[in-house]
Amino acid sequence: MSVGALDSVTTEAPTAARATWSAFRRNPLGMISLVVLALIVLVAIFAPLVVSEPQGYGGAVLRAPSGSHIFGTDNLGRDIFAEVVWGTRISVLVAAASSALAIVIGVLVAVLGAYFPKADTVIGTIVDLCLSLPVLPLMILVTALAGTSLLTEILIIAFFSWPEVARVVRSQALSAVRLPYMDAARLTGGSSTWIIRKHLLPAVAPVVIVSVALTSSRAVLTAASLAFLGLGGVTNWSWGRILFESEQSGAMSSAWWTTLFPSLAMLVLVVSATLISITYNDARNPRSRED
Amino acid sequence: MRARFPIAVVAAVAAAATVAACSPAPPKSGAGGSTGDATLTIATTTDVVNFNPLIGNSRTDDWITDLMYPRLLTIDADGNKKPYLAKDFGYSNPTTGYFDIRDDMKWSDGQPVTASDVAYTINAILKDKPAGNTTYGQMSNVVNATAPSTTKVEIHLSRADSTVVSEVGFWMNVVPQHVFEPNGSVAKFPNNSNWVSAGPYKLVSAVKGQSYTLERVSPYPFAPNNTPTLQKVVYRVYPDINSEILALKNGDVDLIGNSLPPAQVKSLQSTAGIKVQEAPGLGYEHMAYNMNHQPLNKLQVRQALAHGVDYNAIRSVVLQGQAVTTGSSPIPPVLKDWVDPSLKEYNYDPNQSKQLLAQAGVSNLKLNLIYSLADPVSSQAATIIKDDEAKAGITINLQGQERNTYLANTASGNYDIYLGNFAIMDDPTTNMSLTYLPGGAINYGLVNDPALSGLIKQAQATTDKAAQKQLITQAATSVHDNVYDNVMYMQNLYFAYSNKWTGFTVKPSELLSLLDPQSLANVKKTG
Amino acid sequence: MPPVVRFAVRRLGRAVLTLWFASTVTFLLLRLLPGNPALAVESPNMTVQARNILLHQYGLDQPLLTQYGKYLWQLLHGNLGVSFTQQVPVSSVLLARLPWTLLLTGSSLLLTIAVGIPLGVLAATRPHRVLDRLVQVFGVGVQSLFVPTVGIFLLFVFGLQLHWLPIGGAYTPGVYGGAWYVSVLSHLVLPCVSLMLVQLGSYALTLRATLIESLGEDYTVLANAKGLPRSKVVWKHALRNALLPTTTLVGLNLGYLVGGAVLTETVFAYPGVGRGIYEAVTQLDYPVLQGAFVLLAATVVLVNMLTDLAYGVLDPRVRTA
Repeated sequence: MSVGALDSVTTEAPTAARATWSAFRRNPLGMISLVVLALIVLVAIFAPLVVSEPQGYGGAVLRAPSGSHIFGTDNLGRDIFAEVVWGTRISVLVAAASSALAIVIGVLVAVLGAYFPKADTVIGTIVDLCLSLPVLPLMILVTALAGTSLLTEILIIAFFSWPEVARVVRSQALSAVRLPYMDAARLTGGSSTWIIRKHLLPAVAPVVIVSVALTSSRAVLTAASLAFLGLGGVTNWSWGRILFESEQSGAMSSAWWTTLFPSLAMLVLVVSATLISITYNDARNPRSRED
Repeated sequence: MRARFPIAVVAAVAAAATVAACSPAPPKSGAGGSTGDATLTIATTTDVVNFNPLIGNSRTDDWITDLMYPRLLTIDADGNKKPYLAKDFGYSNPTTGYFDIRDDMKWSDGQPVTASDVAYTINAILKDKPAGNTTYGQMSNVVNATAPSTTKVEIHLSRADSTVVSEVGFWMNVVPQHVFEPNGSVAKFPNNSNWVSAGPYKLVSAVKGQSYTLERVSPYPFAPNNTPTLQKVVYRVYPDINSEILALKNGDVDLIGNSLPPAQVKSLQSTAGIKVQEAPGLGYEHMAYNMNHQPLNKLQVRQALAHGVDYNAIRSVVLQGQAVTTGSSPIPPVLKDWVDPSLKEYNYDPNQSKQLLAQAGVSNLKLNLIYSLADPVSSQAATIIKDDEAKAGITINLQGQERNTYLANTASGNYDIYLGNFAIMDDPTTNMSLTYLPGGAINYGLVNDPALSGLIKQAQATTDKAAQKQLITQAATSVHDNVYDNVMYMQNLYFAYSNKWTGFTVKPSELLSLLDPQSLANVKKTG
Repeated sequence: MPPVVRFAVRRLGRAVLTLWFASTVTFLLLRLLPGNPALAVESPNMTVQARNILLHQYGLDQPLLTQYGKYLWQLLHGNLGVSFTQQVPVSSVLLARLPWTLLLTGSSLLLTIAVGIPLGVLAATRPHRVLDRLVQVFGVGVQSLFVPTVGIFLLFVFGLQLHWLPIGGAYTPGVYGGAWYVSVLSHLVLPCVSLMLVQLGSYALTLRATLIESLGEDYTVLANAKGLPRSKVVWKHALRNALLPTTTLVGLNLGYLVGGAVLTETVFAYPGVGRGIYEAVTQLDYPVLQGAFVLLAATVVLVNMLTDLAYGVLDPRVRTA
């Protein structure tokens, strides 16, 4: 059982973390993905320095990529490059915020369940029941009823993503509480919060890291799907909004650039996040680590 | 792999079995004839919701039921009411309207279409109030309808109302009494099998979400030799406009029923094998300023807003030049008998807007503008409106909303500015009463001006067309000068079809366009 | 109680609980969130009174508990109610679409497994080599595709450019007999392939990860040591264990897939349940939505039972227990 890098539980933890990192570094896929992800986040933060916010309209409507508009223009003659760059902000924000929220809820529920066996039956059942709900149709329903705004979008995605996190984390936490050192901690009279914070959370940290990558990449695609169905916010630019406007103007087949670039942006973000989590998973597992 | 057998095999067998159960049976022969066996396939983005023409739902419902249940009147290219099932119509006295109907139309089960069918339909709508029925709202002054003879229908009114005959005549589909009456309330009758049609076509099969097949009905008096030219009309559902366009180019469908997105018109015009037909719109895109909200009750503020938008830019960019100004009047130019050329559009002048705001003593104006995300043209116009008003120092907060939120907010008046379109405006008097009378169903500006209301009510009461025109012109001028409504343009519509077809009749609006029954009863394959 | 009976009772209890939960969540969401089906009828001539009459017809003016009681009572009798907008029983609305959903999701699942397992094995048997990396990138890449973009691309290439396949729908209307089956198949190919693509990654990668683990387990090492051919060790011994998490994945994904194919169904004009739900949402057709979510929950229950069966076949420990 490997233990996360966040805390020192046993004496071998720092070594394990170092071993994970050195294994990670040796995987070119992981390293490239890490760099790409960092670049995407930088673009999101410094979008105004890259290009000015796409606004208004231009005369050159639906022009193919060229020197002046490297990603072409949309049906109102706006620069798609600028839209994609500015869309990065909202798309990354939605992904980060909703997955953070989902992770917090999911981890809390899972850890509580694992630590207090009496609550676990109920919590386990609730998680299972939530997992059996059809997620995308329900999100469509709730968004249609609750209205479209950035905040509701984040809340809705988070609210329908936490059971998956809880499921994964719970099974990890359950096996962790059965480990001898947890019993030892309990016997020495540590308080529950102390044990959870010092021992249980570090034990599930690796699973959480993988969950972050998976939940946030799913959130990017979910947000785009909702936007495509006309259920996304249009006050700000997001990749989903670019795709939605392309769909509505019937430009998807005749002006490929209106969908290719936002779709590519999504692809790059999701692929790099997923590859990082896979590499990390491989790296922390001595068996699949490449030695 | 034995391992993955259970799920895989069970799934495959279940799927195969259920799909096989959907396999359609071939039709009984006999529908064909010497006149031709052509099938016209029409694509639509909205699925059929309901086959009962008295329950209002989607555009495709209207297209299909129009081919089976005749309207009394139709509209010509200039927006004038013309005879269809009714040969003659009017008022025998101020509180009695009448229709004289044709005696040569028959339901497909052999029964004649009679005046009692018409009277039954009117009375059933009054009694059962089917959801979304357009005619119901136009019959507030109707007491009942009677059929003194097999070809004469009389509508009895509680007070003089000159709009009833033309509006009921145009909006109402006449249904067969002998089919609908035994089924009880028309508000609950799904009419989803064994259809009986007065022509030109009759539904024979319906597969939800996929396709609707209609076959020729004869005799149909508006077709050559009383026989509609097509053997079959098939409607196919393509929820996404992009795959719909691909299907037309690929030949899977012959015509796209819904109007094209403005940005696609040019590209389809230059596509080999595709023809693009223009049809006038019969509605307009407008902004209404919520008069119950401060400071929008001040005329200068509304004027400032009206002068802050470059309508020309919206028409040339969003609509690619496929729209005409109405001179900021609520009467679109397609209605040639009603239009008043002396009204001129609010000119775009941000400085004038700033001055008007200063005169009104308003600064730092911030307003919410709502529109429906389901309406791409409004959505795009909204972004231009926001940017333009910003130059006049007015902050517009765009609230593009999902359809249901939008409808809820418009119903409760929860907005500063309403942006949307009015699809079909066939009669200025009716339209103005809905739009500008207090309590009117689409009075989004929440206008309450006794002088204007007086003009509209007088116009409703008079059957003298000249007098009515004068009253309507005065009312339109009042709306224009007081900026009670800001009509930005009338969109011209474009429809694409395969050049293998010819002989479509063009009528205004997306409702009639090339899909009007008379048009589809006369189209031919070329060559 | 014998263990088998106890197991069956518990499973059944769980199934009923799942159905109750799904139906209650849908019921409450529809009534507690804003949204008014009478307003969803877009008609310029509907007065406030007319809309209130409509609410009364729909039974939405009754107290929440009364509505809920009636709804559960109907549900217990297998009655899903009557659609607000279509005036026909909800069961007939859903049953018209269900076969197409089953065909599309079922065939895409089969295709995914047929392609995903060899891919996963290919990667796991050559960990960290070029081929493994390629499979990983490919798997993650296709998983991250945006369905509508891919859909339009496939329609453009295989429909418009190559004329190999038709564009949109489940079959061509007016085709009967044997030709009808051909038409169904040709219309199925593209939506099935695009659904396969987006699922492929998770199957191939899960299999890869678990197979790498089980190839390191004692019994595989032992089998190798005994001199069994490598391919037999991989395909027969290691894979059998590695398939367990993949089976779980089927259970987890299928429920999602049945309703989640909305985008695929939209782009390919495929008349499935997902699209039906989307349209019922735009019309706020409560009975259809309630019925659809019960149907989806029932699918999940059914699939989970099948997964349990598959577990029994796959895992000797479960079988003997």
